[in-house]
Amino acid sequence: MITNLLQAIFNGILTGGVYAVVSVGLSLVFGIVDVVNFAQPEFLMMGMFVAYFLSIATGIDPIMASPLVFLVVFLFGAVVQRFLIQRVLNAPLVAQIFLTVAVAMVMVSGAQLLFGADFRSAPTFYATKALHVGPFQFSLPQFLAFCASSIMALLLWIFMERTDVGRCIKATAQNRTAAILMGINPYRMYVLAFAIGTGLAGAAGAVILPYSYVFPTIGHDWGLIMFTVVVLGGLGSVPGALLAGLIVGVIQSLTSVYMPTQLQNLVVFIVFILTLAYRPAGLLGR
Amino acid sequence: MNRVINPVLFKVVRWAFLATVLLLPLLIFENRGYYLRIATLVLMFAGLGGAWNIIGGFANQVSLGHAAFFGVGAYTSTLLLKYIGLSPWLGMVAAGVIAGLLSLMIAVPTFRLRGHYFALGTIAFAEVLRILFLYFKGITEGPVGLSVPYLGDSVWNFQFSGGFGYYVTALALLSLTCFVAYRVKVGRLGYQLRALSNSHEAAEVVGVDTYRAKLWASILSSMLTGAWGTFYAQYLYFIDPDTVFGFWTFSVKMAMVAILGGLGTIWGPLVGSAFLIPLDEWTSAVFTGNLAAVSRLIYGGLLIALILWQPRGLLFWFTGLGERWRRKRSSLENPEAETGP
Repeated sequence: MITNLLQAIFNGILTGGVYAVVSVGLSLVFGIVDVVNFAQPEFLMMGMFVAYFLSIATGIDPIMASPLVFLVVFLFGAVVQRFLIQRVLNAPLVAQIFLTVAVAMVMVSGAQLLFGADFRSAPTFYATKALHVGPFQFSLPQFLAFCASSIMALLLWIFMERTDVGRCIKATAQNRTAAILMGINPYRMYVLAFAIGTGLAGAAGAVILPYSYVFPTIGHDWGLIMFTVVVLGGLGSVPGALLAGLIVGVIQSLTSVYMPTQLQNLVVFIVFILTLAYRPAGLLGR
Repeated sequence: MNRVINPVLFKVVRWAFLATVLLLPLLIFENRGYYLRIATLVLMFAGLGGAWNIIGGFANQVSLGHAAFFGVGAYTSTLLLKYIGLSPWLGMVAAGVIAGLLSLMIAVPTFRLRGHYFALGTIAFAEVLRILFLYFKGITEGPVGLSVPYLGDSVWNFQFSGGFGYYVTALALLSLTCFVAYRVKVGRLGYQLRALSNSHEAAEVVGVDTYRAKLWASILSSMLTGAWGTFYAQYLYFIDPDTVFGFWTFSVKMAMVAILGGLGTIWGPLVGSAFLIPLDEWTSAVFTGNLAAVSRLIYGGLLIALILWQPRGLLFWFTGLGERWRRKRSSLENPEAETGP
């Protein structure tokens, strides 16, 4: 009984670590650019496809390919921010929301057109392997995804806290006018932040590929998780998103032990609504 | 500003009415009913956009979960018809009431939220309802969906053999929606909503009970949306949770119609719908099979272009165009009157 419970919690932590990295980009973008990117799940989908085709064409492992995937999605995100989002930064809220919604629509239908609606998966030698630790067992691809996610979170932290560019991005978020006076070009920081945020989602897509199918509408399945995680952690808070990712992973894992799977997402939504109702700023919000 | 736009606005209104009246006979004699179907859908989405506009446009509370009210409306009347044989007309009233009550429930946790947070919160509610309606198969048939029992061509049962009856019903329901929206806009509530749409705090300072104002706007908006849900169920004879509670199918579309037309205007949703729905139908008729995604690609691409080009909606562009034309004409008549750019 206790073993089952602990097993569920450990599984939750493994998936939660991935949730954290999937969502952290959304929070980063909101915190700096002040736009909720409703197309964020589609960047995850894009990352999965890039990793998939890399793996099919060159046989490179999706997790190993994640830095490359990050770069591709990073560039695409930079283009989207520079040529689309940048132009509605001062527009009404609805224009911002619906621009990103339309971007999501274009990305999904573009993927459907290019790749069809088939479910695809990239073969890896460890896809069905498991790790045994005492009475517990973990799926190896999930464990590797967790490790890769942890490395990404660590790199993000080092970048934001220990490099000049990262500090410039944070400065822009804290006080735009002061940042401009210090010689920082805020628009360049917005493009950079948006590209990093979407690139992280893309890299996370590469990391989950060994245990997940990829198809053009997979973003819809992840959208809920992403938004719950960032709201629970506090929209705009990077450490909040990392903590909330783990919490949501554990909640979901525990729910699937005690409730029918169809209701798994219901509990996540209820957590989401309760957070909004009682703590809209999130656990670690500004 | 209002005085500048009004005459032009009335011109647009007149043209819209004229166009409708002119097109009507054409629609009656049209055989396959294809254009009639599109016209009916245009009216329905104009109505949905108009209902959404009351809270989303006037008060600038961007709801992305209005499918919650729509779906509940569709299921209320259909379940009442199925289990106790209640006429869908009465079912429509019940749908409005239930949707209104639901909006009260949703108000409690979401009304404290602003901007993006409100949008996210409303999405969550629509999704919760979708999951619940999928899960309780005993009542709702779950993902299989619910067929509206066919009771023969009878007005009392809200079932017509041709498409024309639905067109007229949609026109009537749209008139009601526009009437309610108009009354809200010119009335006390409209001013309160516009005040709070800029700043809740400033509105509170001048004595607006923002919670109350939003509550009324939300109740009216959700009741109308629920009534349209009943219309949809009766028109299509089939509903399922993934469609009627869908984010893309309804939540986004009804808001999009209002935004593209002109946020917070009475006629904007009709303009937006008259543009968006035929486009949607046309692209999905042209691109089928493997190319089906092309229609959504064009749709999304055009939306991006429109939002970048006219972030305030098509109606503003129309009125701006009319205004420029009027000014040009008056400057031709008496050139010295032209001042400024």
